[in-house]
Amino acid sequence: MNPSNPPQAAEYGGDEVSAIVLDPGYSTTRAGFAGEDAPKSLIPTYYGKYNADGQEKLVFGDDVFVTPRPGLSIHNPIGKDGIVEDWDMAERVWEHSFTSRLTGTKAGNPFQNGLNDVSPDELPTEMEVESEEKPLSDSPLLMTEPGWNPAKAREKTIEIAMEKWDTPAFYLARSGVLAAFASGKASALVIDIGASNLSVTPIHDGMILKRGVQHSPLGGEYISSQIRAIFKANTPQPITITPHYLISSKSAVEAGQPAQAKYKTFPADKAPDASYRALLEERTLSEFKECVVQVWPGPTRLSAPSATGVSNEDMARTTPGRPFEFPDGYNQVFGVDRFRAVESLFDAKAAIPDPDSSFPPPTPAQTIPELVKASLAGVDVDLRPHLLANVVVTGGSSLLYGFTDRLNHELMQMFPGPRVRVTAPGNTSERRFGSWIGGSILASLGTFHQMWISKKEYEEHGPNIVEKRCK
Amino acid sequence: MAAADVRDMLDLPAEGQPRPHKKQKVVEKRPEGITRELYALLGERAPPIAINENKYKGRPKWMNKLRVRPWSMTPFTNNARSDGLVLNHWQRKHESARPPVPAPAPAPSESQMEVDQPKQEEKEDVPKLPEQEYAFAKYNVKPRLPRRYTDDEYNRHLQSDDWSREETDYLVGLVTEYDIRWVLIADRYDYQPRMDTQPDANALVPAKHHRTMEQMKARYYYIAATMLSLEHPPSEMSEAEFDLHEKMLKFDPDRERDRKELAALQLNRTADEVREEAMLLEELKRITSNEQNFITERRELYSRLEVPISVGNTTMYQSSAGLSQLLQTLLQADKSKKRRSILGDGAIPSPAGQTPTTAGGLGRAETPVSQGANKKGAIASKETNQMVRTLTPAEEAKYGVQHHERVSAGVQFRSDRAQRLTQAKSNVQTQKLANALSELEIPVRLFMPTERVCKDFEKLIQSVNMLLDARKVSEKVESEIRVLEAAKMERERKLREAAGITGPSADPEHPHVKKETEDGDAGVLGHSTAPQNTQGAGAQQGDGNHKRSASVLSGASDKSNKRQRR
Repeated sequence: MNPSNPPQAAEYGGDEVSAIVLDPGYSTTRAGFAGEDAPKSLIPTYYGKYNADGQEKLVFGDDVFVTPRPGLSIHNPIGKDGIVEDWDMAERVWEHSFTSRLTGTKAGNPFQNGLNDVSPDELPTEMEVESEEKPLSDSPLLMTEPGWNPAKAREKTIEIAMEKWDTPAFYLARSGVLAAFASGKASALVIDIGASNLSVTPIHDGMILKRGVQHSPLGGEYISSQIRAIFKANTPQPITITPHYLISSKSAVEAGQPAQAKYKTFPADKAPDASYRALLEERTLSEFKECVVQVWPGPTRLSAPSATGVSNEDMARTTPGRPFEFPDGYNQVFGVDRFRAVESLFDAKAAIPDPDSSFPPPTPAQTIPELVKASLAGVDVDLRPHLLANVVVTGGSSLLYGFTDRLNHELMQMFPGPRVRVTAPGNTSERRFGSWIGGSILASLGTFHQMWISKKEYEEHGPNIVEKRCK
Repeated sequence: MAAADVRDMLDLPAEGQPRPHKKQKVVEKRPEGITRELYALLGERAPPIAINENKYKGRPKWMNKLRVRPWSMTPFTNNARSDGLVLNHWQRKHESARPPVPAPAPAPSESQMEVDQPKQEEKEDVPKLPEQEYAFAKYNVKPRLPRRYTDDEYNRHLQSDDWSREETDYLVGLVTEYDIRWVLIADRYDYQPRMDTQPDANALVPAKHHRTMEQMKARYYYIAATMLSLEHPPSEMSEAEFDLHEKMLKFDPDRERDRKELAALQLNRTADEVREEAMLLEELKRITSNEQNFITERRELYSRLEVPISVGNTTMYQSSAGLSQLLQTLLQADKSKKRRSILGDGAIPSPAGQTPTTAGGLGRAETPVSQGANKKGAIASKETNQMVRTLTPAEEAKYGVQHHERVSAGVQFRSDRAQRLTQAKSNVQTQKLANALSELEIPVRLFMPTERVCKDFEKLIQSVNMLLDARKVSEKVESEIRVLEAAKMERERKLREAAGITGPSADPEHPHVKKETEDGDAGVLGHSTAPQNTQGAGAQQGDGNHKRSASVLSGASDKSNKRQRR
């Protein structure tokens, strides 16, 4: 093929219209241009709020992690169940996600940018109009939503996109569907484990089956709470997590010895809010999850006896532990505990009780196998074997070491008859941004452009149109 | 001044210089992808790692000289949309067929301005062309659905006790919306009956009717089929239409529901059940393959039955050397057959090779029927049956199980053994045996050589042999009698001639004498049993009217004759 010729559009069905794909999550918000393989803009959904000079100021993006400003408190516009609670702030955060990296700020009026000397009387009057420029006026916008998003929230979303951002065309797609598209499947059972939620979504022909959508709060934050419970009951001494911003210097200590570190102290009026510390602790914990936490590979549960008669827990004890050093220098090798932190995703009885945790102990119905079972029970029986043969795993928390193996075993045990096949992209970014990538594929397809809800249609039918079009 | 002189003065070696120079030249061949300057900085020593990566080749060099073909952000509309949404995409500008360039009021970014410049120039000399069709609009397809019914049609044909008009409308609307994808329709089906009579929503709501997919399908198919037949009466339908109509009319929701229940059961099997099922399936496969084998085997046997029996041939196999040779050839044939079946051609097994393989490998699953056909199978099944359970004599008889004290090696056919019985030492005797059998209407080759039949056959052959022997003896005796009688007559004649007078007086006694001579002759052989003998002779004469039994019975009497003689 002549490299200077572009591939025929019909060959891959692509036709890029510089659409923006926005995939808002509980922990991070992903945005980028359709047709690319990873979101250009990845910001935390958390935002900071503080008072300076008597004015309330807001911090967006990665900046929230950086400076412990006095009184800085961290908030999240999205509720624990993945549905937006604070619409004003959600809009601000989402807007930041694409204006910061993608659309940029428009070139302003040259008279106003401070580089030119203009006499005050020369200032043109239409300047006021220009400042009302909306951020998305030339890009169609594809947004994602969880499968259980209520109709009110969907209408509110299109309202923001159309009226506040002035997008010429809009579409709202379910994240489960997009994750399936990212794996190249139109029908699949998508198991999505994010920061706040664990969801199972059956998809047929590119549409979710509403009666099969199941979700439970056993996501990344729940795992963090379990890890905290483990730290509390740690054997040499309970571990407290001190985030980096509170450490001014540290020296190396032996494993299990108390930390030798100099701490920063903030006077009460200069100190950031407790929520700031919680956010940064969460960062350390996610590092811990990446380095140490492991899912018991199965095939049986951690509490069950293995084939040789030795209990699985004893087997786990014999495997070499993994060391982890905390920001204050304390370090320890974690043995069987690293398996226990996530065991309750599969076995509700294995949950580590912690009275201080904000998560109630999980019920058996919230575990992954039960969710899958309930989800399959909600769809037609003819479809079930096909869905089991197309299980797609996505979401950042699914990157836990050994997760897919265990999931495979659990599903095979639960459904010994049909063929179970778990598809999980090995690439980290493909797993984390599964639904964004699916959106990127979808919005760059030539055949998709008839699906957009245009501004004109929105004006004709009102926000209710989203229910009719984005089925 | 020549360079050589300078060198000479500076005490430099004359040839030293050019050599490294030359070498350097060889090294200097700079790998592609590194600029000359960078390469010079590297010096002589080659870098430890390759600097030039395998990069994408890009366009060939000659193309760089071509004029860059411009691309432009072009607005387009999609015919599949009804609202005329204008989106922008990059498209190559074609000199001949360039899409029209409306001014979309682009943001005044710098790059845009640069692009705008040539665009405006070109706009003037290229005339506007009619807008070309959007390439992807053609994929906007919808399934063909039957016409929506009118009120009148509904009232006349589609009334139903179970479905209200509103719900039917809702269903048909949903079918259209989801393109007859029943899974989705059933998933989204959420019909709320309108409360016209009860305005307040808090009033008692009738329990929501849950519709199953089968109910929906049944209703919709009924509607669609009716509409189809309203449009074209079944007599005028095309074949495809008629098929569709038939299919839709014949939809049976109950059966479909039952099928789904079965499918659910099948899906929710336990691991044990799955294992058991796999085992059973395996068994079934084996049984069917055995059956297949058996059928081919039987066919072979039948084909062998049709081959004319070569009488003289078997004698060569009766010696041990002959037998071993036969075995050798069989094995050879078997081997070649196996090789052929590996090559994928196992359809027609050679007649000779088949039997040993089956008997050895698949003995366990041999069906009871096969025992009649092949003895080796019977043996094998006996072994396993003993292993499994002991059979009562009745069952043994039923399944044809036998116990042998001594099992000879190799394969034997019961029919062959029976065959052998019919072969006597002399051809004459064999012929006689065959005659006897044909007289009894027993075929030379037994049709169903079961154990019992063979035994009876053996008995029969034995008695036939005995009878033949007896007949031979009796014939001999008769001829002796005749000779003796002739001698006696001669003697009497001589005596009469000698006497010359008593001719007429002897004549009336003649028959008596003949009888007497018989008896007397017998009397010569055994005097004491003479009266019995006459009885037997009388019986012989009395039964003489029926030929077959006569010969048999004459044999019997001959036998007794023989006994008497001894």
